[in-house]
Amino acid sequence: MLFLHFKIYFPDDLAPPRSPLLSPIVPYDVYIPNSSNPETMFNSQLEEVTETSGNFSSVDLSFLPDELTQENKEQTVIRSKHETEENCKTKSWQSRLPLPSQQDVDLALNSSGGSNSHPHLHPGDADSAQPSPEKPHSLPLASITPMTPVTPVSGCSGIVPQLQNIVSTVNLACKLDLKKIALHAKNAEYNPKRFAAVIMRIREPRTTALIFSSGKMVCTGARSEEQSRLAARKYARVVQKLGFPARFLDFKIQNMVGSCDVRFPIRLEGLVLSHQQFSSYEPELFPGLIYRMVKPRIVLLIFVSGKVVLTGAKERSEIYEAFENIYPILKGFKKT
Amino acid sequence: MPGGGRCPDCGSTELVEDSHYSQNQLVCSDCGCVVTEGVLTTTFTDEGNLREVTYSRSTGKNEQVSRSQQRGLCRVRDLCRVLQLPPTFEDTAVAYYQQAYQHSGIRAARLQKKEVLVGCCVLITCRQRNWPLTMGTICTLLYADLDVFSGTYLQMVKVLGLDVPSLCLVDLVKTYCSSFKLFEASPSVPAKYVEDKEKMLSRTLQLVELADETWLVTGRHPLPVITAATFLAWQSLRPSDRLTCSLARFCKLASVDLPYPASSRLQELLAVLLRLAGQLAWLQVLKLDKRSVVAHVGDLLQHRHMLVRKALRDGTAEPDALDAREKGLQGPGQGQGWGKEDRGDGSVDLPAGKRPASPTLLLPPCMLKPPKRICPTPPVCTVTGDEDISDSEIEQYLRSPQEVRDFQRAQAARQAATSVPNPP
Repeated sequence: MLFLHFKIYFPDDLAPPRSPLLSPIVPYDVYIPNSSNPETMFNSQLEEVTETSGNFSSVDLSFLPDELTQENKEQTVIRSKHETEENCKTKSWQSRLPLPSQQDVDLALNSSGGSNSHPHLHPGDADSAQPSPEKPHSLPLASITPMTPVTPVSGCSGIVPQLQNIVSTVNLACKLDLKKIALHAKNAEYNPKRFAAVIMRIREPRTTALIFSSGKMVCTGARSEEQSRLAARKYARVVQKLGFPARFLDFKIQNMVGSCDVRFPIRLEGLVLSHQQFSSYEPELFPGLIYRMVKPRIVLLIFVSGKVVLTGAKERSEIYEAFENIYPILKGFKKT
Repeated sequence: MPGGGRCPDCGSTELVEDSHYSQNQLVCSDCGCVVTEGVLTTTFTDEGNLREVTYSRSTGKNEQVSRSQQRGLCRVRDLCRVLQLPPTFEDTAVAYYQQAYQHSGIRAARLQKKEVLVGCCVLITCRQRNWPLTMGTICTLLYADLDVFSGTYLQMVKVLGLDVPSLCLVDLVKTYCSSFKLFEASPSVPAKYVEDKEKMLSRTLQLVELADETWLVTGRHPLPVITAATFLAWQSLRPSDRLTCSLARFCKLASVDLPYPASSRLQELLAVLLRLAGQLAWLQVLKLDKRSVVAHVGDLLQHRHMLVRKALRDGTAEPDALDAREKGLQGPGQGQGWGKEDRGDGSVDLPAGKRPASPTLLLPPCMLKPPKRICPTPPVCTVTGDEDISDSEIEQYLRSPQEVRDFQRAQAARQAATSVPNPP
C-alpha cells in the first residue's frame, strides 16, 4: 500500500493548515503504517482536496491508477462530501470512514448529472446517505505529481538529455552546532576559516551537502529528483542522530543540469551571427557558445563537438523542452 | 599644443601630455625634455605649464563626476593613446565607461574591477569598429588577470545590453603578421630567413582560411592558430633552407611570444594538409609525411577550395559507414577478442588500405580523438525518494564515543604541535 505523505492530522487539530498538494512536508520518518492511520491519511488527503477546489471535476485525478474508474471517482466525491459534513459536526476523525452504499452512489450520480457544480454540497444527499463503517477499500495512491514521466518525450530528435546534477535545498529548522557535527560525524569536514558550513558526504546516493548553522542545507550531486530527496533525507537523519531536533521542511529543487550529444559538429560562428540576441561566443574566454534561451529560461552551453549542456532548470521538463527547441536550430548549422 | 607652453630647452611649442608610470608629465616631443612632472614640486616656470585651472575659470563639469570616475575616464583615454587608436575611438570608449558607471553594481565594484572595466570599454569599442585587439593584449597592458577580465567583460555586455561582434580574423592576421620582424635582414635574422611581407601575409591568410573551414578555429583561441599558420607559410616559401628551423626558434627570431597551443595547432594544420594531399594525384604517389608536405603547401593552397569541397562531400557519406564498421567491430569483438580480426570475420569489414586509414577530416579535432573514458550508460534508477532509511546505514557515518575521544586527542595534539614555538 502506498500512501501520500501529507501532514499527519492529530485528533485535536481540526483546522489543519492549508498546504498545497504538491509539496509533501511530512517529517520523513514519523509515518508509521498501522490500521488507524490509513484512514486518517486518506481523510486528510481528501480534506485537502476538498478545501483546495470546490468543483471536484476540475481537480486533476490523473495520479490515481487505472483501476479507479468513473464510479470510483464518484465514490471519492461522496466520501469527501461526508467528511465535510462530519467536520462540521466536529466528530472525531478516527471514528470511521463512511462508505456510501450503492444507493448513495446512484444518488450521487444523479445529483452530479443534474448540476455541474458542488455536487458534494447538496445537503439532501448527505442526509439520505447511510455511512457504513466498513474498512476502507485500499486505494493504492501514487504520488500526486509523477516525479519522473514514464517515458521521456524525445520529440523529433530522438535524443534525450541525461541529468547530471541536481541541486536542492531543505530547511532543517533548528540551530546547529557545526563543531559538534564535525566532531561526531565521520563524513564531515569543517574549516570555519575557509567556509562557514560543514561539508558532509554520503556514499549512496553519492552526494555532497553543505550544512549551515542556521539549519539550512544544500544537497548537490544527485542524478535525479528522487535521489536528491532521498539523499537530503539521509543527511537530515544523520543530523537528527547527532542529537538535533531536525525536521525536513521546504525541500526544493533549485537547479538541474543535463547534457547530451547531437553527434555532429556545429559552426558556432554561424550560430552566434544568426542568434545574436541569445548567444555569446568568445573563443578567447571559453570554447563553447553560451545560449540563453528565453522560453524556457535555460542556459545552454554548446560546443563545437556537438555536446550540449543545459542548466538552470527547476523541472526536468524544462530541460527536455529546451533541447527540443535548440535541436532544429543546431541541425541548421550541421552542414558547413 | 594647448596652454601655450614652450620647452625650456629647445623652445619648441610641441608639448605632449604623457601619462607615464601613472604620473602626468608634460614632455617636449622634439627634444624629450620633461617640462612638468606631477604636481609635487613646482617652480615659477612650471606654474605656467600646470594643467590645473583656477576655480573661477573652471566649468564645473568635473564637480558632478566622482574622483574615481574621473580617474577611470583618464585611464580610458590613456589606454587609447598607448594603443594608438584613431581619435574617434577615444570618445566612444569614454561614453561606454560613463554608461557603465551609471549602474550601481559597477559603481560599487572594487578598484581592481574598475581598472579592468577601462580595458573592457576599449575592447568593445575596438570590436565594434573591427579593430583587431585581443583580450590578451589588454590584460598584459593592464596587468590584469584574464579571469577577472572575463567576468567584468561579460557582466558589462549583459548589463549594457551590447551587441559585440566577434573578432575579425583577417584584420588580426594582418596586424599580427606585420609584427613579425622577418622582413629585413639583421644580425639576428640571416638572409635566408628574411621574407617578403606581402607574400607571407597572403599565404598566411590562405592557411588561416583553410584552418577555419576544416574546424581548427572554432572554439579555439584565435592567436595560436595564426602563429602556426604564419610559421607554416614562412617555411613553405623556402622549404629547403627553413625546414630545419623549429617553431620556437622562429618566434624567437621574429621577436614574438610563442603561445603555448601553437605547436599542437601546427600539427593539426599539417594533418589537414596531408589529408588534402591524399586527394591530389601527383602528390599521392610521393607518399608525403608531415615534413615533406611543407614543400607542397603552395600547390595545396592553390587548389584548396576544390579539395575542401571534395573532402566535405566525401565526408558526409563516410560517417554512416564508419558507425557501421564500429558496430560490426564491437559486436563480434566482445565474444571473440581482438586477436581474431585477421581471420576475416564476415560482419567486420576492416579497411585493408582501400580507403584512407584515418577517419574523415571534417570533424573538429576534439571529435577525432578517442574518448578518454567510456561514458557508462546511466543505470535505470528506481529510487522514489521516500524509501525507508535504515539506522545502520546512518550509523556508519557516525563516530563511536571512543573514536570521538581519539579524534579530540589527536586534534589537541596537533594544536599543541603547531603552537609550540621553534626551539631557539
